[in-house]
Amino acid sequence: MITVAPQVNQSGTSLKLDLENLGKEQTALEIKDLDLYYGDKQALSSVNMKIPKGQVTAFIGPSGCGKSTLLRCINRMNDLVDICRIEGEILLHGQNIYDKSVDVAALRRNVGMVFQRPNPFPKSIYENVVYGLRLQGIKEKRKLDEVVEQSLRGAALWDEVKDRLHDSAFGLSGGQQQRLVIARSIAIEPEVLLLDEPTSALDPISTLVIEELINDLKNKFTVVIVTHNMQQAARVSDQTAFMYMGELIEYSDTNTLFTTPNKKKTEDYITGRYG
Amino acid sequence: MVKQWFKSGSPWIWMTGGAVSISLISVLGLLAMIAWKGLSFFWPSQVVQFELDGSVTKQTVIGEVYDREMVPKSRLEAMGVDLSGFNKENLERLLIKTGNREYVDLDFRWVLETDIKSKTTPADLAVFERSKNGNFYGYIETVIKDGQVITDNKKQVLEELVDRAVDLNDQAADLQDGEIGHINYELERLRLQEKSYLLDDALTDERVAELAQQRAELRADYLVLEKQLFALRNQAKRDKVTVKDMRGESVTIPLYQVLDFWLPNDMGFFAKLGHYFVQLGKFISDDPREANTEGGVFPAIFGTVFMVMLMAVIVTPFGVVAAIYLHEYAAKNAVTKMIRIAVINLAGVPSIVYGVFGLGFFVYVLGGSLDQLFYPEAAPSPVFGTPGVMWSALTLAILTLPVVIVSTEEGLSRIPSTVRHGSLALGATQAETLWRIIVPMASPAIMTGLILAVARAAGEVAPLMLVGVVKMAPTLPLDGNFPYFHLDRKFMHLGFHIYDVGFQSPNVEAARPLVYATAFLLVSVIITLNITAIGIRNHLREKYRSLEH
Repeated sequence: MITVAPQVNQSGTSLKLDLENLGKEQTALEIKDLDLYYGDKQALSSVNMKIPKGQVTAFIGPSGCGKSTLLRCINRMNDLVDICRIEGEILLHGQNIYDKSVDVAALRRNVGMVFQRPNPFPKSIYENVVYGLRLQGIKEKRKLDEVVEQSLRGAALWDEVKDRLHDSAFGLSGGQQQRLVIARSIAIEPEVLLLDEPTSALDPISTLVIEELINDLKNKFTVVIVTHNMQQAARVSDQTAFMYMGELIEYSDTNTLFTTPNKKKTEDYITGRYG
Repeated sequence: MVKQWFKSGSPWIWMTGGAVSISLISVLGLLAMIAWKGLSFFWPSQVVQFELDGSVTKQTVIGEVYDREMVPKSRLEAMGVDLSGFNKENLERLLIKTGNREYVDLDFRWVLETDIKSKTTPADLAVFERSKNGNFYGYIETVIKDGQVITDNKKQVLEELVDRAVDLNDQAADLQDGEIGHINYELERLRLQEKSYLLDDALTDERVAELAQQRAELRADYLVLEKQLFALRNQAKRDKVTVKDMRGESVTIPLYQVLDFWLPNDMGFFAKLGHYFVQLGKFISDDPREANTEGGVFPAIFGTVFMVMLMAVIVTPFGVVAAIYLHEYAAKNAVTKMIRIAVINLAGVPSIVYGVFGLGFFVYVLGGSLDQLFYPEAAPSPVFGTPGVMWSALTLAILTLPVVIVSTEEGLSRIPSTVRHGSLALGATQAETLWRIIVPMASPAIMTGLILAVARAAGEVAPLMLVGVVKMAPTLPLDGNFPYFHLDRKFMHLGFHIYDVGFQSPNVEAARPLVYATAFLLVSVIITLNITAIGIRNHLREKYRSLEH
């Protein structure tokens, strides 16, 4: 049984946002009436939410509640699943990313993603970081070097790998690999960074490092994180969304959600009655 | 007790282990046998002088003991041999290689042990390896150097002279194949050019004059070279050696026909070892002689390796691209499944069927059209419309295509989807992900496919007999004449060479050891190709190792 002692949000001072009526300037993403089906099975039903800019938003909920599915909708990774069908809209800069005119590759450059398991490419550390830039056709050595240093610093990995940039990425530990993947994602400077249970395959110390990193990342990016670990959500996020059976049950600032949840289901979950 | 033993499971271990041992023993036994039979051929065996006092006549026989077998007395008696003085049930019979082919009826003869009166191995018995008519056995009598008879220090002088003769022969051959061959090639090119001008109605007087001038230049060059060639040949003809053969007659052998000579009975172990490796080296690097029953197999080794590499160059991109489409792009439905099954079944089609297809489609249809389109001046003689190394490589490429497709697909399906997603999430398109991440990671599997393809293709003979292999190819598919690769040429192949030497040879006994030696060489070539490919694959695997978790 987990009971959460909600030591919420280190930054603490952040203003409480009115998530229902978030202004255009403050909104990074807006999800509107999103339904998602895997074949006949409905996995998400009418999700509505606004994700604020420059903050960390966490999706929590029991396994199979659709939190990862929702996250994957944001950069259209669900397109890879043949039987997946999506209705509704996700607006980025006021444009529906599911519109036919949207270039998926361009969208993904804008909305980066880090997965559960570290997935470095079978290349050197350097080549891993510049992969996204090379895709864009950037060849200038100086520019690449600069981005590598910047991104690795941004992912708090620079000091550990600066002497072996051209060694294989597989030589790194799991936690380092995951930070490399984060560095790889931020090298192309996306607006939104999606983290899908980024620490679930890592040891506690690596987890701590990544959590600290997430806190830094929100200065430059809008971060959306899925986690099955409520303490983690409480520690790193500004806003938290609780999902259950494909529905968004409650969405508010993390402090409120963990201390005075509105809904019975949320309370049951965070006090560890199921999940 | 027995029941318990069965229950313990050890019968299974014995059975499975036994199966492995039997397989291992058969493979090693096969290799050991062909290696022994093939490689022992090059060892300089003793030359024995037999004094026969048989039922027929008294005579001397000189030669190498090639084989021995036991024959039942009754059978010999039935053949009319008088064996009244012998009580043994089985009698030994020796097969003796007597050489001296042009002076005796047969260069191999059977000798019954009862006929042998004495057996000696005189130290001064010499073996001459000749470019024509096989080995010659006898005693060196005189050496004739530049027309003068030399009697002192015969062996040393002869060694020098043979070296000189071999050197001169090599020079002559180089001249003939190299520069003179080049001139002939150029002359043929000019002839074709003239004809093509004629076909295009573009044969102006200017061009006629130009061609004539070029021809005249080439002819002038040719005359100079011809003179050199004849000079070399005449020089080689000056030296001779007279040898007393087993009939007791002196035979004069011009040294330009002699490739090597040795006194096997006078050689120590290390001298024999040295001789062995020299002979082995010659087998690997020389051209065949005497309807493939003597000399080396270099053109066959070269042809095999060249054709297999050409095939690998063709089959790899095709197979990989097809596998990528099947695995990455094709919809996962019944049609794709059917195509996949069809591809796998293609591997079961007998290879001769591919040969027939290659002849019907590649040689006649494709090659015929190529000739019509690009080589009208060569008509009526075909360029590509006849079997050749390119069509052989193409035929074997479709033969091995299924193997490459299947293993590439397997490799693609082993790549974890997380890596794919990682690349896509960075804004890569599917094609970019494929070429930058997926295909490099699948390269060990592609190499596995290639290894299997090479192993299959290098040993395949049947289809090649229809689409390009010949008993004796005058030129290699690669030479110094532009455009260097002559893919229209026919080629020699070790597998076909085995068949040809073993079954089509006019001299069965002489050819038999060569069959083993060539078979061993073919296995070695395939193993070398495979080990190279396996080395590359292991290197690639090492590179992408950590992904197999």
